[in-house]
Amino acid sequence: MNNNIPVPQVETDVLAAMSRPGYAWLTGFGLAGLLFVGALALWAYQIQHGMGVAGIMHPVGWGVYIANFVFWVGIAHSGTLISAVLYIFRARFRTSFNRSAEAMTIFALMVAGLFPLIHLGRVWRFYYLFPYPNQRQLWVNFRSPLVWDVFAVSTYFMVSLVFFYVGLMPDLAIVARHRGGWAGRLYRVLSLGWSGSLREWRHYDRLYMFLAAFATPLVASVHSIVSWDFAVSIIPGWHTTIFAPYFVAGAIFSGTAMVLTLVIPMRRVLHLEHLISIDHIESIAKILLLTSLIVGFSYIVEHGMAFYGNNLFEMEQFRFRAMGHYSLLFWIMITCNAILPLLLFVQRLRRNLIFLFVLGLLVNVGMWLERFVIVVCSLARDFDPYNWGNYSPSLVEIGITVGSFGLFFAAFLVFVKTLPVLSITELKER
Amino acid sequence: MDRRKFLQIMGLVSGTTLLSSCGSESNQKELISYLVPPEDGVRPGTAAWRVSTCSECPAHCGIKIRLREGRAVKLEGNPSHPINRGALCMRGQAALWRLYHPERLRTPLLRQGNGYQAVSWEDALDHIVRAMSEASAQQRTNMLLSGSTTGSLAALQERFAEACPVTRLPEFEYFSHAALRQAYQLLYGRPVLPQYRIEDADLLITVGADLLETFVSPAGYTRQLATARHDHDLHWRHIEPHLSLTGANADQRLSIQPASEAILLLWLLQTLADSRRYVGQLPPQLRTALPEISLDRAVQATGLTTSRLRDLANSLEKARRPLLIVGGIATAHGAGQQTALFGGLLQWLLTAPWQGLDFTQAERPERIGDLRDLQQLSDTLRGGAVGVLLISRADPLRHAPGDWKFADNLRRAGLSVAMADIPDATTRAVDLVLPLTHGFERWDDVEPRFGLHSLIQPALAPLHETRSEGDILLQLQQRLTGHSESGNYETFLQQRWRKQFSASARHNFFQHGHVVTAPAVTDASLRIAQTAVVLKQISLPTPLSTPVAVISGSIRSFDGRSAALPLLGEIPDPLTTITHGTWIALSPHTAKQLGVSDSAELRLTSGGFDLAQPARLQPGLPDGVFSLPVDSLISGPPGIDPATGEALRVIGSVKAERTGKQLPLPILSGSPSQQGRGIIPKPIHRDKNHHAEHRALYPEPAYRQYRWAMAIDLQQCVGCGACVASCYVENSVPVVGRRDHLKGREMSWLRIEPFYDDQGQVSFIPMLCQHCGFAPCEPVCPVYAAYHNPEGLNVQVYNRCVGTRYCSNNCPYKVRRFNWWQHEWAPPLDKMHNPDLQKRTKGMMEKCTFCIQRIRAAHEAAAKENRPIRDGEVIPACAQSCPTGAITFGNRLDPDAAVTRIIKSPRTYRVFEGLGTEPAVYYLRPN
Amino acid sequence: MPRHLFFDTPEAFLQELRAQLAAGVPRRRLQAHLPFHLHEAEALLIGRPSRLRYFAMIGALLGFGGGFLLAMLTSLDWPIITGGKPIVSVPPFLLIGYLMTILIGSLSSFIGFLWLARLPSAKTLVTDRPFDSRFVLAIDDEDAS
Repeated sequence: MNNNIPVPQVETDVLAAMSRPGYAWLTGFGLAGLLFVGALALWAYQIQHGMGVAGIMHPVGWGVYIANFVFWVGIAHSGTLISAVLYIFRARFRTSFNRSAEAMTIFALMVAGLFPLIHLGRVWRFYYLFPYPNQRQLWVNFRSPLVWDVFAVSTYFMVSLVFFYVGLMPDLAIVARHRGGWAGRLYRVLSLGWSGSLREWRHYDRLYMFLAAFATPLVASVHSIVSWDFAVSIIPGWHTTIFAPYFVAGAIFSGTAMVLTLVIPMRRVLHLEHLISIDHIESIAKILLLTSLIVGFSYIVEHGMAFYGNNLFEMEQFRFRAMGHYSLLFWIMITCNAILPLLLFVQRLRRNLIFLFVLGLLVNVGMWLERFVIVVCSLARDFDPYNWGNYSPSLVEIGITVGSFGLFFAAFLVFVKTLPVLSITELKER
Repeated sequence: MDRRKFLQIMGLVSGTTLLSSCGSESNQKELISYLVPPEDGVRPGTAAWRVSTCSECPAHCGIKIRLREGRAVKLEGNPSHPINRGALCMRGQAALWRLYHPERLRTPLLRQGNGYQAVSWEDALDHIVRAMSEASAQQRTNMLLSGSTTGSLAALQERFAEACPVTRLPEFEYFSHAALRQAYQLLYGRPVLPQYRIEDADLLITVGADLLETFVSPAGYTRQLATARHDHDLHWRHIEPHLSLTGANADQRLSIQPASEAILLLWLLQTLADSRRYVGQLPPQLRTALPEISLDRAVQATGLTTSRLRDLANSLEKARRPLLIVGGIATAHGAGQQTALFGGLLQWLLTAPWQGLDFTQAERPERIGDLRDLQQLSDTLRGGAVGVLLISRADPLRHAPGDWKFADNLRRAGLSVAMADIPDATTRAVDLVLPLTHGFERWDDVEPRFGLHSLIQPALAPLHETRSEGDILLQLQQRLTGHSESGNYETFLQQRWRKQFSASARHNFFQHGHVVTAPAVTDASLRIAQTAVVLKQISLPTPLSTPVAVISGSIRSFDGRSAALPLLGEIPDPLTTITHGTWIALSPHTAKQLGVSDSAELRLTSGGFDLAQPARLQPGLPDGVFSLPVDSLISGPPGIDPATGEALRVIGSVKAERTGKQLPLPILSGSPSQQGRGIIPKPIHRDKNHHAEHRALYPEPAYRQYRWAMAIDLQQCVGCGACVASCYVENSVPVVGRRDHLKGREMSWLRIEPFYDDQGQVSFIPMLCQHCGFAPCEPVCPVYAAYHNPEGLNVQVYNRCVGTRYCSNNCPYKVRRFNWWQHEWAPPLDKMHNPDLQKRTKGMMEKCTFCIQRIRAAHEAAAKENRPIRDGEVIPACAQSCPTGAITFGNRLDPDAAVTRIIKSPRTYRVFEGLGTEPAVYYLRPN
Repeated sequence: MPRHLFFDTPEAFLQELRAQLAAGVPRRRLQAHLPFHLHEAEALLIGRPSRLRYFAMIGALLGFGGGFLLAMLTSLDWPIITGGKPIVSVPPFLLIGYLMTILIGSLSSFIGFLWLARLPSAKTLVTDRPFDSRFVLAIDDEDAS
């Protein structure tokens, strides 16, 4: 109970962030919303005319859309890591990030969940992917990694949502207490009438623990399953056992970078410097460093295996990645993901917010490119040389990708103004 | 209405309904009848076949037209027809695209200023008649220029020309074989092309003659070559300056200096005439008249080594039945006359002992003229001496060299009339366009060889307001002279057939589509005296200086006439894999020197010849040779050979430079090399130990009665692409156009992949869905759209597909095709859609089904007779069309099936066997 | 009407709670309202673990069995061969079971929590300020009987 700040101070500080939106917020939200609306329009255009408006083509049947899906699912991971795994490990610094990280998870999953739909050739038949009794008397093929994806991502989304909501309940009651009128009543209802009685608290405490326990394996499994979309196939560059751990590390890596990208400006804009300390941010930077090392190691292993394995297809695939049509993207990816983060070994840089913010952005770029390289390069050079062909995204794909960031940031901006961005209860407990 | 009343009415209504539906089954009769009684035996859901003849090129292969609900939906080669014996090339397959072409001419069009206006047939014919009478009054000549015409139409043309009167010009064909015919005229007194007995030869040497692409009868020759190679060991050598599909498929290809064929042939003629076997066989008059040539000179001129030349001469001397065929680009340059003459003489020397030439059933291009005749027409037109010029089934505008100003001269005619089915350069230049009915919409006959009458039978009523050429001529004659041979062309034909054929012959004619009448036996002995005279005057040609440009015929567009058919644009050129575009091919070495890569614009200039096209690197092409398909020429040939009247197809002293522009060029192949991946293994891969033993994790599914499998003999496959075209038509595969091809979004279910080795030798492999036993595409589909059926087929259920494209990604053979758009079939192309197949909509995956509709049809037929499906009962479209018979399909579980026997061959392998996919397509490695 | 004692620190609250219990006030007459959970308060006032674990356990088991059976029975319902794999492909079906373990386990824990904590509660939904930032000890002085 090392609390320097008097109890009500925490409340007012956090709730101050929920003040009326200013000019900057409105501009940001408007811009992000516009991007999202634009993406929706492009999607409608794509549905109207067919997948041909995207750049995907014959050997490369998956392009930017699937890269985005993997990227956003990856972003989601750090939220669960910070809120669930660190909860179980009782890491103190977790409190500074868990709420925004969890929100990030929810929004990233919302965005990620759109992409498998966007990439469907016949999206109006998307419900064929769910097991439900139908007049076709046909169920889904549970051997398909895409069905695993459906289950994994929807499970992940629902568990994350419950976890996020449960964490919010006491705080919603606090907000309700500070707000009058219909808003207060709304928050009261959202808190389900939380009264803070011992009976509520003791079950709540167990529930939070259980949810953390349930969510922890998801950190490892969801991105493993996403990686199996690729690893279960037979395409050189995809078909490898290293993919599950490699993807999980990559997911946490990118997610952590996204946390830095979001929290550093948020801390500044919402004046939360005294609640989110530099020490805590440094801890996040350490996670970033660790996962970067794992990711870098995976790159070496992948290429080493191809080199050492003497498999013609694999060798050509990895030669192509480093020296082929997409080599520029590959080397940017290596630089952003495996080389620049090594600077975090320097403590001064770990505590330099501007450096961390820029690094977070670069890692996000690098990780997005990693997904692009994995998805596209492998398909562009597979078994039969006659089929080789290079893909470049179309304006529709680029627009929808940009729009997905719009949705994510718009949702995050709404979150900042409607919900406490830090867990007040846990801050008090701290 | 109150409640009580309502209930009463309801009771009455439901009661009467119930009563009326009661009744005994026994006294009921089938009352369903056709609203329109089926005419001509059309029964919904069943296919009818009509024998007919293809008119896409002058070869005139026999075909069978498949009719469904009164629409022609598929063409197949007629197995009993002597020309093609069941084979059909891609152009033949595409003939339906001409029939249903959305841009087909539908009504007569009269020029009004710069545009055209639709007029009625009556007006159009009146217009012509008026112009013809006017011309006669002005002492101007009326003329008729047509494409190659034989049979009854030729007879009608003759009578029409006499009656009207109209000057019948020599027929126009771009591939006129003029030099050859002139040589045969000189040597034998017959301006025709004899039958070459390829199937009986044991050594075949072809010089420039592209047997597989455009030479006289490509589908027929391909079949003959395949039979010869299959039945006995025919050794085939091809000599050419560039690289053609024919050369690529010969057992040995010799690249010689352009335009040096005459010297090579002369040296061979001289050497063989003096050889032990042939000494004294060449008449002494001719032997002395031959110019002398030394081996050194021959070596220097042809670029072949001394040992190569000696080997060539030796092999010709040793062969029991040697055959030489000269033609194509070997006779289409300044030395074409000499080449044809020396070639003809050498051919006589080699074939005379075993009668390798057959003049009795010679091809019939005897009324075909050459470009000199066209030039004369052009000059006559300029002089204003032409009244009405009727142009039928020919496109002289496209093939007239630009400096003739043929289009300008044409305007000086009183009236120029074009009869055509789809627009071409000529229909865009004339005053009046008359739309012709397609061959599948009318009765007609052709006589492509002496004594071989081939039936053209309609498959459906004319789609548009078109008339046949016969009818047009008869109606013109009627209007001009007041009477005609007969009321319409059909009765004319009937009268003629009755006169020509006996009753039994007529029966055969209609049953089998052709009838052979005994041709007049003609003398075909060498005319020594005349030949000696010419030989004495002949000079030795000087080879052209490099670099040269070689204009090759195209297997896809013939002389350019089929380029307008969208399907043929969609099928890649076999060697370059380019679709929808024109190009200049050059060797990788030359490309490096010029600093160009694929699709960089290259400009060739030589004298008045100036052409800029995107470059395509072509392994196997000799350095310093630029090879371009005839479609690449924008404004006619660069010139003509005044000696023979052939279009110049080899141009020397070409200057090549890159313009710096990059032009989009749809190249379907991702790599010319197979990168050592053993897709077409070399014989060294024969060793079983070369591949690791593969053990499956799961047992292969137990098939009960059928496991469909296919064997493809790569030794036989020549890469002609007929199977691809056949597949397109049979399965209504969408034709998507250039824009999608540039993105690699072609839809072909079956493709031919050419792979080049380091020496530039090319091998072809047809790649289609392998119907794997352990198909990687199946388990990844979340919605069971791809699954394995109990007969081993890898089935794609279109309705289930949601379009994840995962199956395509996971297919090692990449044979699945995604519908990127809602593919529309512009009317009347929609009539061509095979009704046995579901129409695919946007966002669906599709692929080769092993023609499951044919398997289903066989199942139904077999079930009716309560028996299993017989071997050979199911023939997929690709196998049916293959001119070489390389594809065999059948049930692998049947030990007696042809496919089961074939796959026991030691040459059998499967592509990417190491992946454990257990494909059902077995390839037989080339030797 | 219970008597409400307000504390600013947990230490003061616990001290008073212990004092009350030592004074012989029965547990059922003591009610606590806290801004965050105090394990000591739980130990003092209730002393037995939450029954939520049964919900988690049953939900997880049901999820696992249900997920696996869903995959298995639907596959057997229309046995379709894909890629030569057996109709009951155990490894992928286990994966479905695993995911359903987590999903149903989490959801049943949450529902169990709502049930056990009597949420949402109609009484507190209408009460003004049910949740204080201070530690509240409510002592019911009058015996309920």
